[in-house]
Amino acid sequence: MPNVTVNVTVPERYESPRMKLDTSTDPQVGFRPPGELDLATALARYDGPFTRRDAAHLLRRAGFGGTAAEVDTWASFGANGAVDALLHPPQPDVAFDAYPDSTALFDPKTRNMTAQMWWLDRMLRTQHPLVEKMTLFWHGHFATSYRKVPANLMVGQIDLFRSQALGHFGQLLLAVSKDPAMLVWLDNRYNNKAHPNENYAREVMELFALGLGNYTEDDVKNAARAFTGWTLDKNQSFVFRANQHDDDPKTFLGRTGNFDGSDIVSIIISQPIHQRFICRKLLEFFVYSDPEPELVDALATTYALSGGDIAKTVGTILRSNVFYSARAYRALPKSPIEFVIGTLRFMNVRKVPKDTIAWLQRMGQEPLAPPSVKGWDGGPTWINTGTLLARFNYVNRVVKASPPATPAGAMVSAAPTVDLATYAAFTPDDVVREAGGMDSDRVLAAIVRDAIQDDLTSDVRQTMRDYLDSKNATLPTPLGPENYQDKIRGALALVLNLPSNQLN
Amino acid sequence: MASRRSFISKGLGVAVLGGTLPSFLRTAAFAQPLPALGSSVDPDNVLLVIQMGGGNDGLNTIVPYSDDAYHRVRPAIGIPEQSVIKIDDRIGLNPVMTGLDDLYKDGNVAIVQAVGYPNPNRSHFEATQIWETASPENPVSSGWLGRYLDRTVSPRDAADPSHIFTAVALGDTVPTALIAQHVDVPAIGALNAFAYNAGRDASSKTTAGVLYDGAKPGQSPYLSLLETTARNALHGGDELRAKIADYKPAIAYPKDAFSQQLQLAAQIVASRVGTRIIFVSIGSFDTHAGQRAQQDRLLGYLSQGLRAFYTDLAAHGLAQNVLAMTFSEFGRRVQQNASNGTDHGTAMPLFIVGGKVKGGVYGEHPSLTDLDQNGDLKYALDFRAAYATVLARWLGHDPSGIIAGTYDTVAFI
Repeated sequence: MPNVTVNVTVPERYESPRMKLDTSTDPQVGFRPPGELDLATALARYDGPFTRRDAAHLLRRAGFGGTAAEVDTWASFGANGAVDALLHPPQPDVAFDAYPDSTALFDPKTRNMTAQMWWLDRMLRTQHPLVEKMTLFWHGHFATSYRKVPANLMVGQIDLFRSQALGHFGQLLLAVSKDPAMLVWLDNRYNNKAHPNENYAREVMELFALGLGNYTEDDVKNAARAFTGWTLDKNQSFVFRANQHDDDPKTFLGRTGNFDGSDIVSIIISQPIHQRFICRKLLEFFVYSDPEPELVDALATTYALSGGDIAKTVGTILRSNVFYSARAYRALPKSPIEFVIGTLRFMNVRKVPKDTIAWLQRMGQEPLAPPSVKGWDGGPTWINTGTLLARFNYVNRVVKASPPATPAGAMVSAAPTVDLATYAAFTPDDVVREAGGMDSDRVLAAIVRDAIQDDLTSDVRQTMRDYLDSKNATLPTPLGPENYQDKIRGALALVLNLPSNQLN
Repeated sequence: MASRRSFISKGLGVAVLGGTLPSFLRTAAFAQPLPALGSSVDPDNVLLVIQMGGGNDGLNTIVPYSDDAYHRVRPAIGIPEQSVIKIDDRIGLNPVMTGLDDLYKDGNVAIVQAVGYPNPNRSHFEATQIWETASPENPVSSGWLGRYLDRTVSPRDAADPSHIFTAVALGDTVPTALIAQHVDVPAIGALNAFAYNAGRDASSKTTAGVLYDGAKPGQSPYLSLLETTARNALHGGDELRAKIADYKPAIAYPKDAFSQQLQLAAQIVASRVGTRIIFVSIGSFDTHAGQRAQQDRLLGYLSQGLRAFYTDLAAHGLAQNVLAMTFSEFGRRVQQNASNGTDHGTAMPLFIVGGKVKGGVYGEHPSLTDLDQNGDLKYALDFRAAYATVLARWLGHDPSGIIAGTYDTVAFI
């Protein structure tokens, strides 16, 4: 972008049409946890004890969970040390292929799955989990799909999200406005002086930064004019074509000047409503559904004072009392990607099973394919009979490595079709070792401690004990040397399928 | 096949529509007054929505064989007059569609011509969203059938196991059309797959059922939703399998995947588990190259599958209770392209099939010379009018609140 001189006329007083967050279409409304918010202390730094339960909570929310040993390690850092390490990882990440295999990425038959598996692998193996988690957050926020955008551009967009995952929102929004995948997705590549295309100009306000009702149709028209000439060259790279750009003055959100797209981004992020818009979304992602408006306002102040610094804002959340409160604990349903990657990470699986994409489809969250420009609705929409069965059966498959992965028809397999040992480090022997023997009480204690941080009632614990003791089971004998492999895998699968493990 | 004709007993007026009159007489008026809602509608009516994914080429489905312009723009992929299954002196069916022709001759097929909407979208994804949300003007999350479900199934009923099969998506995922606020639509790829799959470990499933009954760690408002849903998931498939144990197909369905899914649809209808809506997909009709082979194969599946389906339903006394409606995200361009295919276009015909359908052709075939500013077919009927008709006259529900705007219903039911 060449520098453009801008003469901004700021009116003495400007009132946005409504300046109110529209939550009428948010399905998470109504799923706020019970209890009262203590606003005075909510965002203050949590200085209570940092247990391994707290560490597991932090890792689930700010990452994708981990093995029991990883939880122990993070617990030893203390709350602040752990958040510091998440925000500013002290070590470089593990080595990844910088880019998926080019041949596969341009083959129409394999390109989408190649890109998806490339990203899932990063989520699985990264040692910078918050960066990858924020990358997923931005993917849901700036929801773009391979159904319209070529896979190589999708990969480029994910790389952009990762590189600015914890940067400044204004810089990210400007970069997204020039991102080739976005220029294809919302048609700004066709936006020129002669034939303005308003698609991006509208969504940048409605979906990305302000929310419905906080701009007028005239604002959309004028923003579209400002983004004219922001297009793609023949190599699918961003280019500004001055001859397609509308150089006349525009009036946008109460200001008048010869604006270009950068000015539009600056004006948008200076709106107080933007601060609340983005902070509400972060709170719903990290803390709980339908956060109180007062909590949103409090975080918006932090965000505004930081100059739109995402790391500082997310850091405030992750260090806060409200984040470690009982109201926030297990208060959000896991998204399918959180559930799948969390399961694999807990099992110490080092390679994403190939059929995972098909399972994620059934669970309702295919990566790189959000259902619409609005992204995934999340919250209660993750939970229906089909998606829950997919979660259960995915766990059964990965933990027991026995039912085949084919979706249609095949229900029961007599023999394992996947050798767990080829891709998973978890073994029942580990559990026996941790338990110090094959006593069912101690085996169960090890499983529920490691897998769900003891989040189960005494009734459920008894049911699980009965399962291991074959009180109501068809497996012939109680836990013992000849059946512990099947029993422990079976028990772990049941525990991972518990309601508490559907919640983050 | 002997039973195929037995279910068709129609009034004289309907026979006229489906007979051999010239097309200008058979072109029924679109406008028709609404019936008194709920009065004349059978509460057991089932709607089967068939998605023809990828954008089906309407001109090689309903072929304007007597139009010189058709043969001019499609020198390689045009269907010659002698192979067309003639409907009248101007249009006919693709020659593979013998099954649908049988149903048509029996007066059980309405062909609704030139269906579309203003400012048509040519992106598969966006156009599919438009057809499934029935909201071209602004994106919404809910599907048009999802909104119907939300208005007809109370939140309390939605949580009850007896209502979990009110709507069923056949396949691995729930289509946008069935996305509702509080009604859960199961996606059933195969009956056996809609189950808790614990392999050899039968006790695992029993235990899972117990674990979800009353487990209450923490205080998340999501827990009761999880419990209800898990209970339905764990028991629902078993109930459905038990209920359809007596079903025997009256004929052998074709072996293709689509026809097999229609058999599952017939099983679900016959098992009477309260199902009102079934959604099934066939594709891909995205025939940019080598169109004839690919489209003909798929139209053959559609046509022969539907004949088997209605034959089977008739034998079970259910042909009058199921209305099938096709849709596709767009039709295709008028002219063939350089690779003997066609690119993304606009309007296309819909098929409405069923024992209570008033058979015939609705609307004129779109002109191949009077085109829109992009050189594409002009639409004559907004697809929301077809949806509104189905809602009002088949499902007995006022379309307002589900479909934005006001549309005259079409006389096909």
